[in-house]
Amino acid sequence: MKILVCITSVPDTTAKISFTQDNTQFNKTGVQFIIGPYDDYALARAVELKEQHGGSLTVLNVGTSDSDPQIRKALAIGADDAIRIDTEPTDSYFVAAQIAEIAQKNSYDLILMGRESIDFNSGVVHGLVGEMLGIPSYSPVMKLEITDGKAEFAREIDGGKEFLEADLPLVLGCQEPIAEWKIPNMRGIMTARSKPLNVVPATPMDDLTVLKKYTLPAPKGECKMIAAEDAEQLIALLRTEAKVL
Amino acid sequence: MPQYFDRRNLDFLLYEVHDAPELTKYLYFEAHDRETFDLVLDSVTQIADTLMHPHYRDVDRNPPELKDGKVTVHPQIKPFLKAVGEGGLIGAGFPFGKGGQQLPEMVGACVDFIQMAANNGMMYTGLTSGAANLIATFGSPALVDAYVAKMLGGQWQGTMALTEPQAGSSLSDITTTAEPQPDGSYRITGQKVFISAGDLDAVDNVVHLMLVRIKGAPKGTKGISLFVVPKFRLEEDGSFVDNDVTSTGIYHKLGQRGTPAMHLTMGDRGDCHGWLLGEANRGLSYMFQMMNEARIAVGITGAAIASAAYCASLEYARERPQSRRLNEKNQLDSPQTMIINHPDVKRMLLFQKAIVEGSLSLLLESARLSDLAHVSKGEEKENYTLLLELLTPVAKTFPTEMGVRSVNEGLQVLGGYGFTEDFPLEQMYRDIRITTIYEGTTGIQSQDLLGRKMTIQGGKAPRLLFAEIDKTITEANTHETLQPYAKMLGEEIQRLQKVTSTLLPFAQQGDYERFLMDATLYMELFGLVTVAWQWLKQGIVAQNALSDNSPGESNTDFYEGKIQTMKYYFHYEVPKTLGLAKRLQDPEVLTIVKEREVKM
Repeated sequence: MKILVCITSVPDTTAKISFTQDNTQFNKTGVQFIIGPYDDYALARAVELKEQHGGSLTVLNVGTSDSDPQIRKALAIGADDAIRIDTEPTDSYFVAAQIAEIAQKNSYDLILMGRESIDFNSGVVHGLVGEMLGIPSYSPVMKLEITDGKAEFAREIDGGKEFLEADLPLVLGCQEPIAEWKIPNMRGIMTARSKPLNVVPATPMDDLTVLKKYTLPAPKGECKMIAAEDAEQLIALLRTEAKVL
Repeated sequence: MPQYFDRRNLDFLLYEVHDAPELTKYLYFEAHDRETFDLVLDSVTQIADTLMHPHYRDVDRNPPELKDGKVTVHPQIKPFLKAVGEGGLIGAGFPFGKGGQQLPEMVGACVDFIQMAANNGMMYTGLTSGAANLIATFGSPALVDAYVAKMLGGQWQGTMALTEPQAGSSLSDITTTAEPQPDGSYRITGQKVFISAGDLDAVDNVVHLMLVRIKGAPKGTKGISLFVVPKFRLEEDGSFVDNDVTSTGIYHKLGQRGTPAMHLTMGDRGDCHGWLLGEANRGLSYMFQMMNEARIAVGITGAAIASAAYCASLEYARERPQSRRLNEKNQLDSPQTMIINHPDVKRMLLFQKAIVEGSLSLLLESARLSDLAHVSKGEEKENYTLLLELLTPVAKTFPTEMGVRSVNEGLQVLGGYGFTEDFPLEQMYRDIRITTIYEGTTGIQSQDLLGRKMTIQGGKAPRLLFAEIDKTITEANTHETLQPYAKMLGEEIQRLQKVTSTLLPFAQQGDYERFLMDATLYMELFGLVTVAWQWLKQGIVAQNALSDNSPGESNTDFYEGKIQTMKYYFHYEVPKTLGLAKRLQDPEVLTIVKEREVKM
């Protein structure tokens, strides 16, 4: 089985976010980057499936060389090789088109990724890739088994879960608890250095999105302490200041 | 999740100050690069975040129990040992040919630091690694095959079994005995106390590296041999049998309660077997390989606990409003200010930062020397080794003694809450206390520094150290802003040399009691100066970054914080050498027992 796992390189969840150049550029200085947490679940399940069924596991990232540490981590966790499409990931359509271009050439049985990245959180790349390749896509997938060339999986839906079965190939956007995040071991870390990381140029495309500016959410207001017995004041403040009543 | 160490600071010390990637130019370390170091630190942080730190309190509140001869430890210990064993972290520093990945000591020190900052109560792996290293270095191929892989895999625990009820610091008085047997093994009888991780149900076997006297061996340290004494021994048919090592007692400790400290009895049934490691009667010198590593590891533990305490008290000081600033104390209608804005609280926080980051820098300096000694040859190797030997007692003592004071200040920042179980400071205060005691108390380390390390090869080690410090002073003098601190450090070296030359004649006259009477104060002086050197090193790197680059807002804050802490250390801590030097040169003798004893 040939598995492709698409990973994003995103700011650590605890990183302080700021912008430069009149709020048009994300300030990367001092920011720690990590594999997208949902992508990390996808990768962990892919490693398990490869252990169960054999085959190959490739990780793919659309990004600049800044993403290489995250790609090396994915190789240390258990991917066999990696492809980096050497470009800034400008928007979801662009990223999906780049992934589809590679997938088209290599005929993967299973394409896994996170249900969404945690920087822009658009959550549409898996659907777009499926559409571009003409194969089914599902998200968010929280359980996945492969049996006799078929995928059996559970997807979260409003108010419950949906249990599905589909033929391969297909694209899945993953989330917990599909697998537990894997921690690279020393042997994996050392072998990651010799695993191939193929850097390929991006397929030229028109920009469909123009970024105008970023804004940060308003800072949290000061906490107001209200006496426990003073429910009237609480209601008044919820009406007049918080405006939630 | 609450923070317990500062990764930015760790990266600064490892890469910017001590240049760990430089080691990868040596053949031995060439399989590594900064990326592998980062991945190792990331992996350890993930283990620490998920398997260690969340259980810090719980491991303390549910300490090991000895019941019906069996020791039950906290259920979290087993998955932790499995994770670090399978992750290859226990033996990461071992050579490729012995099941390791040749990870430099410098990175290994950071691994230990992260783990101990997360949960110092789970101090199992360093013991196993040290014990396995002794077997790998001095053991026969049969012993290596039988033990090392299982230990590095986290399935078997290792210990260092030295202390006996009548022989703590005085190892020359041990009485545990070995009698040769026809099958090549030895029959062991005796008792050992304070054996950390001496028995536990989270592993399949416990392997004691035990100091024992072979029957008829010379008295004193020259008659001590090193033995492998397992809890379960492997028979020729592949079965495991109980090796007659009995857990007779478990100590109820002030801190570090996650790891059992055992009283063990060997040979109650006359059936305890041990296997000699290396040559007979050379055990203590072999054990000192593990002991020196363990001393650095204890220093790391001290710095790590102080780091966790600093992070906790800093977080509290940033969030706790109390009173108005001293210049605004009558403005009662204005909101209370956060306590970090009070000068005395700020001082306590700066003290902690100075101790934690100064100690860690000294520990990484020592680890770097260990790595360089490993890969170099001839005179270069000898010099690195001498410097490491000189700094080892200091790197054990400064982070632990000053760490205790640092955690004390951390607790003080929290006021009354620091004294309660609602915050982790009280536990850290208990946990760190042991670090000035084990692997040689502060008194023993101080006698080692002054009585041995300062004088070996005619004082070559301190000459090498002062030459290194001179290089730092010269470099600091290229920055106008650092020149006052370079000058201060130069004066401190002179003061230290003067004190040393006042004390050395006592040794030359054979009056060792007078020579070593205040060795602990000498250690304090030596430590203050050595860490001032480390702070000047950090100041140079920070100043270079601020002068040459555009570090960005967060990095500018970081580097300016370094400069401020360096200044704090020089203006608040370094002046303490004056009082110490005065006492050390004072001719009045008050602590040496005389014929007519003054009543206490």
